[in-house]
Amino acid sequence: MKVTFQIRGASPVSIECTPGENLLELARRANVAMDAPCSGNGSCGKCRVKLLDGTLETVRSPHITPEEYEAGWRLACNSKVLSDCTVLVPDAAGAYRSRMKTAGLSSPEEIAIFEACQKQLKARGISFDNGFRSLDVVMDSPSLEDTMPDSERLERAVKAILAVENVRIPFAVMVKLARVLRENEFRVCVKGRWENDSFCCMEICPPDDTALVGCAMDIGTTTVTLVLADLKTGEILAKGSCGNGQIRYGADVINRIIQQGRPGGRKELRDAILEETLKPLAANLCETAGISASSILCLSIGANTTMNHLLLGLDAAPIRMEPYIPCFFRWEGLLAGDLELPANPLAPVRIAPNIGSYVGGDITAGTLASGIWDREEMSLFIDLGTNGEIVFGNRDFLMACACSAGPAFEGGDISCGMRATDGAVEAAAIDCVTMEPTLSVIGQPGQKVAGICGSGIIDMISELYRCGIINARGQFQRAGRRILRDAFGSGRYVLAFPEESETGREVSINEVDIDNFIRAKAAIFSGVDTLLRSVDMTADCIDRVYVAGGIGSGINMKNAVSIGMLPDVGTEKFRYIGNSSLSGAYAMAVSDGAYEKCVSLAANMTYLELSACPGYMDSFVAACFIPHTDRSLFSNSVQEG
Amino acid sequence: MAFTPKTAPYSGRIHAVTLGTGDKAITIGGQNVLPFYTFDAAIEHAPKIGVEISDAAENWTVPGLAEFYAGCTTMAQRAKKAETLEGVDFVCLNFESADPNGAGRSVAACVADARAVAESCTLPLVILGSRNVEKDGQLFAALAEALQGKNVLIMSAKNENYKTVGASVALAYGQKVGAETADDINLAKQLNIMLKGMSVKPESIVMDIGTAAVGYGYEYAASTFDRIRLAALQQGDSDLQMPILAVASLDAWSVKESTATEEDEPAWGSLEERAIHMEVATAAADLTGGADAVVMRHPKAIAAVKQFITELV
Repeated sequence: MKVTFQIRGASPVSIECTPGENLLELARRANVAMDAPCSGNGSCGKCRVKLLDGTLETVRSPHITPEEYEAGWRLACNSKVLSDCTVLVPDAAGAYRSRMKTAGLSSPEEIAIFEACQKQLKARGISFDNGFRSLDVVMDSPSLEDTMPDSERLERAVKAILAVENVRIPFAVMVKLARVLRENEFRVCVKGRWENDSFCCMEICPPDDTALVGCAMDIGTTTVTLVLADLKTGEILAKGSCGNGQIRYGADVINRIIQQGRPGGRKELRDAILEETLKPLAANLCETAGISASSILCLSIGANTTMNHLLLGLDAAPIRMEPYIPCFFRWEGLLAGDLELPANPLAPVRIAPNIGSYVGGDITAGTLASGIWDREEMSLFIDLGTNGEIVFGNRDFLMACACSAGPAFEGGDISCGMRATDGAVEAAAIDCVTMEPTLSVIGQPGQKVAGICGSGIIDMISELYRCGIINARGQFQRAGRRILRDAFGSGRYVLAFPEESETGREVSINEVDIDNFIRAKAAIFSGVDTLLRSVDMTADCIDRVYVAGGIGSGINMKNAVSIGMLPDVGTEKFRYIGNSSLSGAYAMAVSDGAYEKCVSLAANMTYLELSACPGYMDSFVAACFIPHTDRSLFSNSVQEG
Repeated sequence: MAFTPKTAPYSGRIHAVTLGTGDKAITIGGQNVLPFYTFDAAIEHAPKIGVEISDAAENWTVPGLAEFYAGCTTMAQRAKKAETLEGVDFVCLNFESADPNGAGRSVAACVADARAVAESCTLPLVILGSRNVEKDGQLFAALAEALQGKNVLIMSAKNENYKTVGASVALAYGQKVGAETADDINLAKQLNIMLKGMSVKPESIVMDIGTAAVGYGYEYAASTFDRIRLAALQQGDSDLQMPILAVASLDAWSVKESTATEEDEPAWGSLEERAIHMEVATAAADLTGGADAVVMRHPKAIAAVKQFITELV
């Protein structure tokens, strides 16, 4: 028996199966990316497929209306295959698709972020040097008179260039030494690095291949981003991102951890991130940059604790169980070869250290990049992701905590949510009188609306509230053309009617979405509140707020404040610093000093476990309101409608 | 020189809410001090006690209650009898049988009972619903209409139905509306804000912030009482300055101390005595925490709590 998946914009994929197999499992086996944030328990309704031919046995779900069911729509996760089938995987289900996006270097904004990071760190006394070198080594060819073996010949030549006592040639270089030396008539390029007072030869290649490349990886729960940088100059060679291939095993870290605990789960998740995500993306970037993977001599990783555990194939189960102990915080001495990472096997792997089970290396790397650790003023650093992480402090102390915001900022848990890719609404405004929206959509001019990404949701909710369309609880209270209600009276606001949208389905934001989002923003605000209280401070003490995260090309801080997500300390204090985990990882890859700084920062950050703070829940409930139960905290947030 | 104690009333004040009409009308709230802190400022309106009359009162089998209501078969008769009790300030009609998952009495039958009570009784009325969100929406609208002009308090609007209940009870028929939440200051505040947002006057709202039988997690109720009262008085939080009514009887009469029979628990002594103790302790704790009115059931318990209030105010 056979199932064929038809995918828009890609060639169909077929897979053999036995009767009664679950369609979602089959899609996973066939590597068909299907969005299933709930890990296939039927609760999220995102794994919609359209049955074109054949028979499925499907448990009816409230996510599929009777009309849709008639038209062939099914949820893959509660469908069993009974015969040869052909199903269509719609675009909406592929909103999370691991579509690779390789940025050319034409985007000056993107380069500017890395340059700013470099400038920032240099100004704080961190040198952008590293111990990686490429050497043009010219040797005499051996003869009957000159019978020195190849290894000694190379060692002597390197010693002469670097004036060094010891030169180490590891096995991986030794095995190809004879061939490479002779093919290049004893003039080669040796790439290696200083190890204290000796030099290790990591790669030997033709004399014209002198590329020394560092690869920085930001491995997010939802999105993975890589950059290749020249280790000599710090220049960015290529940048690319794609969805984390683990998404089909669940949208948040908790679902992933549950999944990795199933038989064979750890390997599946490791394969999903390594084989399906990192390797193709790295290969793509190497091609763009015109280098070979063996030129990547240094790797750095900014990833949350669960992500770095799953990448390394470590058991992440204890992370989610009290007392929440991860396998490691800091791990040095790892080589790319140990992990089969796409780089020179001898390349050191610099993992930004974790500081708690839910505050990981992405935050230490982000903290490094933000520079808050070297300022007199009190700064708040917030990374908006599936987990919201918060760091507060200055050059004297740093406190960190994490709150579970859920995937709402990245479009998960939202009926029409999606990542910040083509078709996503990234900014919005609503006219108070006509209640008509003005939308800004990612993509080419004329791009139709496919869904909403995090920054768009913030704008929508803020505008709906400002216009009095929803009340402080997120319930609809005005009527109009764009405000529709379902059979149970639950309201929604339509951003795009079916005929206007990319997918042919209505794009709207409903009360359940708003409720999910209110919980996400309340988690962030109460995290900030609890962290400040733990050091006996209030929002007045904050001099600066750095907001990081990949929730869109930028967020409207005024709107984020008026819905009560961020403290009302004056929008001039806010800075959006983009993907700080990536810029931190970039600094760690190209600068030995930055890596050392990151390690020492992590050792000096205090982790606050919010689940052990008695006041957190109370603060959370108080924040589950637009803007907040204590309205004096947000006196600028008013309803006009 | 004579000693003049320093008084410390708060700047915040609880709204005074009047229930009922005519010379039997009562006012709850109005103070600017903590419960029974008469040394800081006079408490004009002492806490009030209401007697619970259930439409399922035939299940009240403890001898004292059965004897007190002997011969009464309707709610109106029981209410008339209850009015004769010393220390009772209002009558609380509990329409628990209206719950569609229970006896499922019709709205019309409940309205008829309420009318009968209103005709024969002079004390102010407080209404308790079926605790079924949908049924209460209909029941409260009908009762609010039927009892127009009686200035009754209808308990309660909840998060799930505050719109319908608030609109019908307070806006359409000008009655007082309860705002019910479960042991959480923030949820209590949010519900008040939502009701005020619908243009319900703060002076028309009475809070039911949840209670518990003493010994059954009462510390949650106690801390909620404390925090709400301090927010209202000390911080002057106008979203929490509504008076509080605690339905002590329902919790006090549903725990094992007041339900386990003497055959099952011979060592515990008289069931009725136990139940009275539970009710007195619960009501006294509610009043000490900040309740401006309590709903009670047993005449002896009412007498004890009345004495408690009289001696302290």
